Amino acid sequence: MRRELHFDAVVIGAGTAGLTAGARLAEAGARVAVLTKGVGSTHLAPGTVDVLGYAPERVSEPGRALEDLVRSRVDHPYALVGRGCVVEALQWFGERVAAGPFPGYRYVGGLERNHLLPTAIGALRPSALIPETMAAGDCAAGGASAARVCVVGVRALRDFHPALCAANLERAGVDARSVELNLALDRADQNALGVARRFDDPGWRAWFCAELSPHLRGEERVGLPAMLGSTDPHGVWSDLGRRLGRPVFEIPTLPPSVPGMRLFEVLRSSLRAAGGRLILGAEVVGAERSGERVSSVQAHAAGEERRYLARWVVLATGGFASGAIELDSRWVTRERVLGLPVRGAPGADEPRFVSTYLDEQPLARAGVAVTGDLRAEGVENVLVAGAALPGAAAWREGSGEGIALATGFRAAEVVSEAEGARAGQPGRSEAVV
Amino acid sequence: MVTLTTDVLVIGGGATGAGVAWDAALRGLEVVLVDRSDLAEGTSGRFHGLVHSGGRYAVKDPPAAEECVVENRVLRRIAADNIEDTGGFFVTTPWDDAGYADRFADACRATGIDCEEISPAQALREEPRLNPRVSRVFRVPDANIDVWKTVWSLARGARERGAHVMPYHAAVAVHRDGDEVTGARVRDMRTGEETDVRARVTVNAAGAWAGQIAELAGIEGVRILPGRGIMIAMNHRLVNTVINRCQMPTDGDILVPIRTVSVIGTTDEHTDDPDDHTVLQSEVDAMLDDGEKLVPGFRQARALRVWTGVRPLFEDAKAAETLTRDITRSHALLDHAQRDGVGGFLTITGGKLTTFRLMAEHTVDAACAQLGEPRACTTASEPLPGSETQRSYRLGERLERKEAHLREEQLICECEMVTRGALEEAIRRSRTANLDDIRRLLRLGMGPCQGGFCMYRAAGILHGLDGLGAEEANTALLEFLQERWKGIWPILYGDQLRQVRLDDWIFQGVLDVAHLSA
Repeated sequence: MRRELHFDAVVIGAGTAGLTAGARLAEAGARVAVLTKGVGSTHLAPGTVDVLGYAPERVSEPGRALEDLVRSRVDHPYALVGRGCVVEALQWFGERVAAGPFPGYRYVGGLERNHLLPTAIGALRPSALIPETMAAGDCAAGGASAARVCVVGVRALRDFHPALCAANLERAGVDARSVELNLALDRADQNALGVARRFDDPGWRAWFCAELSPHLRGEERVGLPAMLGSTDPHGVWSDLGRRLGRPVFEIPTLPPSVPGMRLFEVLRSSLRAAGGRLILGAEVVGAERSGERVSSVQAHAAGEERRYLARWVVLATGGFASGAIELDSRWVTRERVLGLPVRGAPGADEPRFVSTYLDEQPLARAGVAVTGDLRAEGVENVLVAGAALPGAAAWREGSGEGIALATGFRAAEVVSEAEGARAGQPGRSEAVV
Repeated sequence: MVTLTTDVLVIGGGATGAGVAWDAALRGLEVVLVDRSDLAEGTSGRFHGLVHSGGRYAVKDPPAAEECVVENRVLRRIAADNIEDTGGFFVTTPWDDAGYADRFADACRATGIDCEEISPAQALREEPRLNPRVSRVFRVPDANIDVWKTVWSLARGARERGAHVMPYHAAVAVHRDGDEVTGARVRDMRTGEETDVRARVTVNAAGAWAGQIAELAGIEGVRILPGRGIMIAMNHRLVNTVINRCQMPTDGDILVPIRTVSVIGTTDEHTDDPDDHTVLQSEVDAMLDDGEKLVPGFRQARALRVWTGVRPLFEDAKAAETLTRDITRSHALLDHAQRDGVGGFLTITGGKLTTFRLMAEHTVDAACAQLGEPRACTTASEPLPGSETQRSYRLGERLERKEAHLREEQLICECEMVTRGALEEAIRRSRTANLDDIRRLLRLGMGPCQGGFCMYRAAGILHGLDGLGAEEANTALLEFLQERWKGIWPILYGDQLRQVRLDDWIFQGVLDVAHLSA
């Protein structure tokens, strides 16, 4: 027999958009289940909240550029939620980080200006809201520091190459040099998470700093791959700064992303703290419709098929990367979870891709067709958030996390408004504001 | 300008040219081998990897089939380390002429192909993904060959015997002294530097580009009709045996398991330009449909990469009797002394990978005749470097070797099991900063993620080695990404699109390579 579970809202997907929507709904008093096949984009992404990095030139003031974008691209997710919503969402997120599972850990920045953060290859990536552990790496004019950057790597970490990073920073006009430590780490090919677990141990940190210190000179700030601790990033980062006697910052590198996993933990704990449930390993395999509503979704979970009945569904399943939106071998684009119509996909005779890799790909802006308030077209009670939305080219814009956060936030707000109206209350219930 | 003097200059570093260089070096001749690009970058490196049993030609072209029978056995001896003995099936599907199977069996008998009919049930036990509706199945000794490794082994062997092997050197002029070709001027495509190569015999082994080289020598009418074919590599070994349709050879009728993938091929479209690498969507669609006929569910598998190869189909504008007497329809050796009254110049073209050694043998025989120094060919018995043990390659060998040193050796490319040591050695040995060349050498970035994880690592390692600068490392990475994209976007669908999005995440998101300082 299939089990039936009743919720006010079911969120599908546990990336930034889904967890934000879920946490926000739970905070507003809804009974929420976040169903997800697996963890989402957080574990791949750098863990920063990029709101708008390129438009298409590099953006230094994301708040201002966002206003222009909202006016010029009416089909863009930011245009659907508006700048004010982005501001609120960032504020909310900052508070959740502060109240989150990592004591002292916080994000810095906002819409006023983008930081320019070194990437692992030494490009400078614009980002609005960033973990404090990355702040000292800011290379923007008027940024944290103009001190020389010393990029430090560990040879056993094959996913970080300090010399190339430093050389490219130099090419970008940043005073930089590199140090590669040859530490014995048990195996020759660690990843960032493996090393992060070492940093959790104070003894190991002391040893690491003793190995590194003789290589440091003058007033340098020290850039390390993003691996400063898996359980207490603020403590580890502060401790390293103290021991080395200079600013220390993290540089995101190849997945798995340690700062991205922290972001996931922050949102998961917000969801749980508000009474929401996260059900990992629950792949949604079907849905029941009644008229213009989705009345339930079916998911495979814990070895059985379960039926989740809910008044609202938030689809935060991601785009092509997650497989939620698919281009099949007969060149048909479809939304796979609920079978919703897709907008923005090139026609059968139009090019889906262009031959230059770094150019914008015509398929990039395809997504689930929505109305102005993020409702899926033709379905009253399904809201769409994050990379499943059409209209954005997240990589080229440097906008992925910002869109996820703002649209996840807004989707919850739409639900709360509608529920408030239904209950004969004012549009925005107390809990939401 | 530097001048090199040699007995034999070979223009074209595909399997044929490298085979000629190896053969000539074994016979004690001085050799210079040049290619405008990397070795095996042209047609040789752009095929499906099949070592023919001869079955494909048994009905249509028996002499070609007989050559394949002999050369297949020779290759298994001399290039064992590059060959995986997969065996092959010829299968009659519901779309094939049922009458062809008996003709096929007779033709195999007549041409000496070791062919055994087995029951479809037996075939399905061995290859469970094979279309269960096949009605006849014949087992033949097909195999696969790592063509890059083979060409590099040939070049290495030639080098060890004194040959100069010069990739990225294009012939820009062919020297004529009256009725004699006396060598060529070659230009380093990376530095622009030119070298004069004085040669007693010049071999034009430029394959589909042979007409262009002949023209440089002032010889008209060497017409190559390039036939363009596409091949698609699928993410898995969908089969472990080469599968051929039992029908007159046509498009999309071969599926070759090779290394960690399987390759379906091919089409045949005439093109005027041997550098034409167009991939039409209609060709991709047709290839996927043909795949479904051999392995139902083919379209659900991930297509990793598509590429085009250009067959050098030779048509002589001059009379047929000018061809040397011992050639078959399968390849053409032109002795321009006989054909055009121009000495010191030979053109070898046409043919197929399976018979490259034979083509080289014929060519060097003719070169020796021109030099007036008959020397015996030994390539049929001399193993290539790396193949001395005569033990053929087995899938899983790389994994086995890696597992023995799991904790000591850094793995750079997980898909193809390429270690840091192997990568550093390859970069140093080949003196290249071109990651696409490294890909052909080591299979780096050839697996399911198509370089998503290994290319940043490889760029970082490149940068540290031998004083290579950041600019060169960046260029290597960006060029690799673009080169990879060329082979991906025409077949991008399904789960491979997910993979590419993950790779975008890494390159365009985490690393932001699009905004590296120029």
